[in-house]
Amino acid sequence: MKQKEKGPALTRRAFIKSTGAACAMLFVAGSLPSLVRPAAAAPNEKNINDVLKKQFGNKNVSMSHVDIKAPIIAENGAVVPITITSDLPMRSDDYVKKINVYAEGNLEPYVAGIDLTPANGKAEFAMRIKMRKTSNVRVVLETSKGQLYGAAKAVKVTVGGCGG
Amino acid sequence: MASVGKIKIRVPNTIKKGDVIPVQVLVSHPMETGMRKNKDGSVIPAYYINDVDVFYGNDKITHCDWTIAVSANPFITFYVKADKAAPIKIVYKDIKGGVYEQAVQISPQ
Amino acid sequence: MSKFIVRIMILPACALFVFSACAVRTPSAGGKASAPVITEYTPNISTQEYEKRYQAVYGKFTEQMAAEGNPADFVVDDGKDLFSKVQGSAGKSCASCHGANGEKLKGVAAMYPKYDPAIKGIDTVALQINRCRKDHMGAPELKYESDPQLALELYVKSLSNGVPIHVSIDGPAKPFYEAGKEYYYKRFGQFNFSCALCHVKYAGHMIRANLLSNNRHHTDHFPTYRLDWSGVGSLQKRFRGCNKNVRQEPLPFQSETYRNLELYLTYQGNGVPIQVPGFRM
Repeated sequence: MKQKEKGPALTRRAFIKSTGAACAMLFVAGSLPSLVRPAAAAPNEKNINDVLKKQFGNKNVSMSHVDIKAPIIAENGAVVPITITSDLPMRSDDYVKKINVYAEGNLEPYVAGIDLTPANGKAEFAMRIKMRKTSNVRVVLETSKGQLYGAAKAVKVTVGGCGG
Repeated sequence: MASVGKIKIRVPNTIKKGDVIPVQVLVSHPMETGMRKNKDGSVIPAYYINDVDVFYGNDKITHCDWTIAVSANPFITFYVKADKAAPIKIVYKDIKGGVYEQAVQISPQ
Repeated sequence: MSKFIVRIMILPACALFVFSACAVRTPSAGGKASAPVITEYTPNISTQEYEKRYQAVYGKFTEQMAAEGNPADFVVDDGKDLFSKVQGSAGKSCASCHGANGEKLKGVAAMYPKYDPAIKGIDTVALQINRCRKDHMGAPELKYESDPQLALELYVKSLSNGVPIHVSIDGPAKPFYEAGKEYYYKRFGQFNFSCALCHVKYAGHMIRANLLSNNRHHTDHFPTYRLDWSGVGSLQKRFRGCNKNVRQEPLPFQSETYRNLELYLTYQGNGVPIQVPGFRM
């Protein structure tokens, strides 16, 4: 009997203790799957660095002169509009020869290669690409003189709540 | 969706000689990746455009090399320096041998 | 120790209870005597605030993509071809009665859905096209959501582009409007949601990564190209999608309930100009 009366009333301290424990339990439960399977990488996923190395060797890519316009959050990874612009010249003796587009999170990161000529007048190109998950869009420009310029932009790919 | 390989090209209404003009092209194509499945569980075979050529007059001015990661019903914008009266022709080729092309006449003032 | 665990379990339950108690319904301005009394919701945020949030989340993204190139434009062209194609036993095409370029149908779709005495119910554009085909052309009805059906519906609606929606709910249409409203406010599905809960009360709030839209602009752009579908779909396809999202068995296309719902929803957008084909997420 005495034991029962002694039982803890819901004091402030006890309340904080129990809430804290509950929160901790929720936190642990929530984070467990990610501990068990860290960053569920598909076995055949390619690393962007390996892809770039294979394509360009050990050449240095200068991260300048290129700008990527893309939405910060893409609600549908199947259609992500991107615009690639560059202030590099398009003269007949010095022009942007090729634009390479990569989506780093895709199983095959290489998305497209676009060959340009001086007749384009402007190194700008817009297209819509598919992205498997949240990752960087990366662009590498090759000039006719063999220099490489690049840029990267992060795009969040979300799964909407109302895809009916 | 509508039938495969229909093309719409949009260029500015008035073009001055020497202008760098945007050309917007839309083509209807499913761009199947070969990774999706039907409702019955069978894999939908890959079916996508992998090669795009743009001609201005007789010159090939742009070439695209595409993979499965280009969205369905591909839309592109590229630029052309309008220095002569000539047609701009765009040719799409898909991996099943389909060839779709359309041209639009450019006449700079 | 067991008491400790019990307390842990009670806490979330308490939180849930408090949350649901907060969601008090606001009393309606005036209930109808005939239909069951519906307690209407007032939106949590003002229209201006909603517009602000919409701009913050989506900006001009879809408008810009639609202006650049809407794949549904191809479907409109298909519909135009179909409109002047002779089909059926009567040897007629849509254009035989409605003019070569559908001149006589300009602005007509803005009045739909409307009450039709012949079917003693609400007539929608899609249903009317199929009734025309059956009664006047002697052609087979088109399967709903099939490519030709959507193309034709889209083309007919595109003839009314820019015309403000003006559907009538007076006279015989009134009971059907009330029935549509009842469905709009009815809770259903495993999640026990109603249409109005999301799109009136909580419009402008986020549901995971989506902004809940308010119902003013729900009908002006359908049939629309939707990125999520990677294709064109009708308003009733969206109804079915919404039903599935709240774990409710969707109804068949052009069922009476959906037609009533379409009338109710379109009336909410009265005055908004029609803009098809739309382009949405």
